[in-house]
Amino acid sequence: MFDRFIESRTLAYALVIILTSLMMMPVYWTVVTAFKPDVETYVFPPIYFPLHPTIAPFKLLFESYPFGDYLRNSIIVAGVTTIVVTFTGMLAAYGISQYSFRGGNLTIYALLVTRIIPPLSLLLPFYLLVSWLGLVDNLLSMIIANIYLTYPFAVLIMKSFFDAFPRELIDSAIVDGCSRTGALLRIVLPVGAPGIASAAIITFLWTWNEFIYAFVFTSTSQSQPMTVGCFDAIGDVFVNWNQMCAGALIAALPGVVFVFLAQKYLIRGLTAGAMKF
Amino acid sequence: MKLTNSRYGFLLNLPGLLLVVFWIFLPALLLFLASFLRYDNVRPIVFNGLENYRHLFRDRLFWVGLENIAVFCIGTTGLTSLGGLVLALVLSAIVRGGGLFRSLMIVPWAVPAVVSGIIWKWMFSPDFGVISDLLMKVGLIQTPLSIYSNPSLAMVGVIIADSWTRIPFMGIILLAALLSIPGEIHEAAKVDGAGAVNRFLYVTLPLIKGPLLVGLLITTIFSFRTIDIIMPLTAGGPGRATYVFGYYIWDQIVKSLNFGLAAAASVFLFFLTAAIAMIFVYHLRK
Repeated sequence: MFDRFIESRTLAYALVIILTSLMMMPVYWTVVTAFKPDVETYVFPPIYFPLHPTIAPFKLLFESYPFGDYLRNSIIVAGVTTIVVTFTGMLAAYGISQYSFRGGNLTIYALLVTRIIPPLSLLLPFYLLVSWLGLVDNLLSMIIANIYLTYPFAVLIMKSFFDAFPRELIDSAIVDGCSRTGALLRIVLPVGAPGIASAAIITFLWTWNEFIYAFVFTSTSQSQPMTVGCFDAIGDVFVNWNQMCAGALIAALPGVVFVFLAQKYLIRGLTAGAMKF
Repeated sequence: MKLTNSRYGFLLNLPGLLLVVFWIFLPALLLFLASFLRYDNVRPIVFNGLENYRHLFRDRLFWVGLENIAVFCIGTTGLTSLGGLVLALVLSAIVRGGGLFRSLMIVPWAVPAVVSGIIWKWMFSPDFGVISDLLMKVGLIQTPLSIYSNPSLAMVGVIIADSWTRIPFMGIILLAALLSIPGEIHEAAKVDGAGAVNRFLYVTLPLIKGPLLVGLLITTIFSFRTIDIIMPLTAGGPGRATYVFGYYIWDQIVKSLNFGLAAAASVFLFFLTAAIAMIFVYHLRK
């Protein structure tokens, strides 16, 4: 009896729905609050469905905080980091995966070790370097830091995708007169596109979500990204919670969009990159 | 002139290798160096021997931080593994709508940690909190809860918020492991008369041991250095109730500006993380 109950499809679906609802509760609450007028935000017991939904919190958010600047900075930092990491990482992964060279294994170990180093422990030397180079409050400082934070994982993801690529295909293309770099562009790239896409998405999201380095390296809205902006706004004596939720929603938007657009590749990338220990 | 294959492979890796050398080993070297300096931004910088480390181990706050991070780490890793495992088990049992539920499940992973902190602070708000209201409706509490200003509950609240962001990753890798188990193995065990619980304990669990260990390793070392979700929630308080070890480093860098001490604490964090990783890698290789 117990066995049949625990293995029934109905129970599985019931549990999935309950658990997903629990996990989605904070997201739901953020969305709902972001569209509430003040009178519906500051009441107890809280209102579960906004009676008069409004976009006023978003408007006020952009008026009272430099959220436009934050948004621009986040887009630049995450965009540039993603392009640099994906491109150099792709070359590196292709090299490690298809052309074994002396020190290749060492390179992989170095990448794994750097994955384990806590970013927090390198915050101080990075800050010293950034201030000696005169890059404090400059977007470049965050781009450099985020390249270091994301590069190892991106290479490991792409390598695991390229490893599955049959070597004979590359060899026969080279016999047909294609150069090794040509083989990368014409054969490996199209087939390995999912791997490259998942590495790019994960790099983008990690950079977009990064907070600790950005907080220390920046001091004005000229260079502060979204995460720092949200944190600053919550430090106010009186927190405008519906505006905060609107800000949180904007900050979380790229992640949510990518999750729904590329769920399959994200999962494959995360699993592939994680299993490299 | 044509490059040999191995030279070509090396050349492709050169940019990345230079990056690793310049942006990881150079800062790491600088960190070790700074940990032996009297570098407090007040007096001139001089060589200080092991004085920073001596100071560190005598500092009461350092031990408070270590105690708190141990509680936080064990709590988060425990809750994350449990949540991730249950989620993976139920998701592996459904077919229709699996993609949608998987997408929904990963969403918390994609939310910036500092934003998660803000969201949970709002959910647990003592005045307008939705969680207080739900718990009161169920009848578990009589008056609204003020979890983040209560020294004995703040840590629980922080652990819940942090686990929320980590459960998806754990769930993803466990789900992948569960789906890679061939169905025949379960059928064979069923024919042999093994019940659902026994099959889970003696068939499923051993087969997903590797990914489970990887998940535990990543959750442990990542939660070990967490401060970004705690900053908006409690800022280490109330009192020192959620003052985790990362905060100690943070305070030395941002508030006290004692860079020498910060470096010593960072070196300590580095080796502690390496030691934890080593334990897991040893069990994985076995």
